[in-house]
Amino acid sequence: MSRIAITGIGIITPLGDTLTLNRQALQEGRSGLSSLEIFPTKYASLLPFGEIKITDKELKTRLDVTEPGVTRTTLLALHAFKQAVENCGLSASEIQLSETAFINGTTVGGMCLSDALYQDANFRETGSEYLNSYDLSSVTLYIQQRYGITGICNTFNTACSSSANAIMYGARLIQNGFVKRAIVGGADSLAKFTINGFNSLGILSSAPCRPFDNARSGLNLGEGAAFLVLEKEDNVIDKPVYAYVSGWANSNDAFHPSSLSDDGEGPYLAMQQALQVARISPKEISFINTHGTATENNDEKESIAMQRVFGNVPAFASTKSNIGHTLGAAGAVEAVFCLLNLIHDEVYASLNFDTPIEATGLVPVTEYKHMRVEHVMSNSFGFGGNCSSLIFSKGQKAQ
Amino acid sequence: MFYIHQSSCISHQPTFTGVDLQNLQPSVNNQLPAIEPKYINIPLGQLRRMGRALRMGVGTGITLLEKHKADGILIATSNGGIEDSITFLNQIVDYNEGRLTPTHFVQSTFNAIAGLLGMITHNTGYNATHVHRGLAFENVALDVTMLLRENPGHIYLIGGVDEISVRNYRMEAMAGWYKKEPISNTELYASETEGALPGEGAAMFLVSNNAESATAKLADLKLLHTADENLVANQFAEFVRDREIDLLLSGESGDSRFKRYYTRCEQAVSENTAIARYKHFTGEFQTASALALWFSCWLLQNQTLPEHCIKRSGSKTAFNRIALYNNYQGVQHSFMLVESV
Repeated sequence: MSRIAITGIGIITPLGDTLTLNRQALQEGRSGLSSLEIFPTKYASLLPFGEIKITDKELKTRLDVTEPGVTRTTLLALHAFKQAVENCGLSASEIQLSETAFINGTTVGGMCLSDALYQDANFRETGSEYLNSYDLSSVTLYIQQRYGITGICNTFNTACSSSANAIMYGARLIQNGFVKRAIVGGADSLAKFTINGFNSLGILSSAPCRPFDNARSGLNLGEGAAFLVLEKEDNVIDKPVYAYVSGWANSNDAFHPSSLSDDGEGPYLAMQQALQVARISPKEISFINTHGTATENNDEKESIAMQRVFGNVPAFASTKSNIGHTLGAAGAVEAVFCLLNLIHDEVYASLNFDTPIEATGLVPVTEYKHMRVEHVMSNSFGFGGNCSSLIFSKGQKAQ
Repeated sequence: MFYIHQSSCISHQPTFTGVDLQNLQPSVNNQLPAIEPKYINIPLGQLRRMGRALRMGVGTGITLLEKHKADGILIATSNGGIEDSITFLNQIVDYNEGRLTPTHFVQSTFNAIAGLLGMITHNTGYNATHVHRGLAFENVALDVTMLLRENPGHIYLIGGVDEISVRNYRMEAMAGWYKKEPISNTELYASETEGALPGEGAAMFLVSNNAESATAKLADLKLLHTADENLVANQFAEFVRDREIDLLLSGESGDSRFKRYYTRCEQAVSENTAIARYKHFTGEFQTASALALWFSCWLLQNQTLPEHCIKRSGSKTAFNRIALYNNYQGVQHSFMLVESV
């Protein structure tokens, strides 16, 4: 069976608006967490966030967005989408073919505009420019219309695993012969809705998050977007293949709306089944980009599930310590970080780690290092018990 | 594509128990609210916290999952628990981002329906929530088609759910999606103004690739993004070509802006083909096509077209193959082909 090749990458995170800037910051172990300078909330100086320091106005100028009603989530998505298709060298007509799919994952969509939505939903007599932009698919449909995409388009919201499922769906559409290529990923921006939602659950940390540390005290929210171009390997002739999407699985923890079960059954099943799809054994995984949100619940249950799957857990880290939790974008952003691991044979430090979790004793990678990276697993787990694991495998340079 | 074995539906008509499609329920203040059942199979402690979308989705879903275990759950919802979302948002603003209780936040997440169905029925299989507005349910159908190819012999719960929310209705009305003048659903299709009547509901199905004991088959499916009427007409003509279509089930919504798309698609089928409509009893909403699929299954089983649905009687003596065309806001189009087994 023809493999699913990754031939285009686009990314924007608090670490930078290009792949190169993101790699540099990861290599240097630099954190993108800070007080808020752009997004207005009561918590701006009280909590650390992964904020992209580019205003909506600047993004609109750069991206030549002049239409009304375009939200920040859409702007971040457009930035990453544009970079991915340019990086791949896809032509406008290729993007418009019915054999090209576009799959997006987001949890906030246009709800980043909480105050405008508040006014429109409750008080205004005539609506603002954003009336049709508050939902999730507004992000997907803006890009679909701007690029004239006619093929299969879809939007996922499986909470924090949304864009992992978008990647999986795109890979499966290609494998099942519905399309030849798929542009897949996700975007989310900071929103009062999520900041206050996670705060009401008591899982936001007032300090930079400490994934897998015994003294971890919760997560930091971030924003970002990433898209990948996936193509059937047989159709890729004259361009480099960054890596392959070789394994994927989605399962449900079926335990609690907002926390994982004691034995991490959902994460266990997702990792186990992704290995089966990739047809590799656990010991062939070189590195795991964990979900690692740094909440009390997630890191311990994810550790337990990793121990159940791997016995001896391979090298792992959480890039949530670098940029926070970008929610619907996390699966795609972290997929890009996995591609950097594979392309450069290097892994990046998980920040702010000191003491392992008592029950599991697992220690993440705490220093940048060179190592042979063949297969990387990326975990994304979310509310509603939604658990997804992806496996990326080493690519090849153009002939 | 796949076979449909069991289904469950909540809509503006009695469809959950004691199905009655013959007697049309009148619209209420330009809306088509769903008739909600008592939800005896949802644990009471959970039911109290649930918003409408969650209740309708979990209520219809559990009804089927009690009959048969599934290997996964795929839900389409464009807005999830939007009323709870905006309630939470209002608390954020009204209490100036103070200490809030998480109930409305957790209950309103879009994937709460699929998540709760998984949790209540201990289903650890594939679990996905598609939210792509007017093509959310069609993506569910495509997703499950792939799952059944990848896992032959599996059985999945699929469905579509959306609710009318007071505050979201306000915004959609301001955006021009609903009729401004008072109108009854009995005169919807004669209307020459812009806008539709909002509706809500849930339709769930147990599906597999096994024809045995199936009630219907989804034989083909196409999703299309375009505003180009010619492209839609050509693609639909292609879709029905060389196929004996007994009934065209049209998603006509009474919105004058989109009538031309439906007219063009009607021209693609033979004059013998009957034409029927349903948005006057489901109302217009993003996942209404899930209810249209439920209606198709009902028609194939009952072989009677309720009088109020008929646009053209045609000359067929039986319905064995139904083509569906739906258009959401002029830019999202879907074709489905449903056949008797």
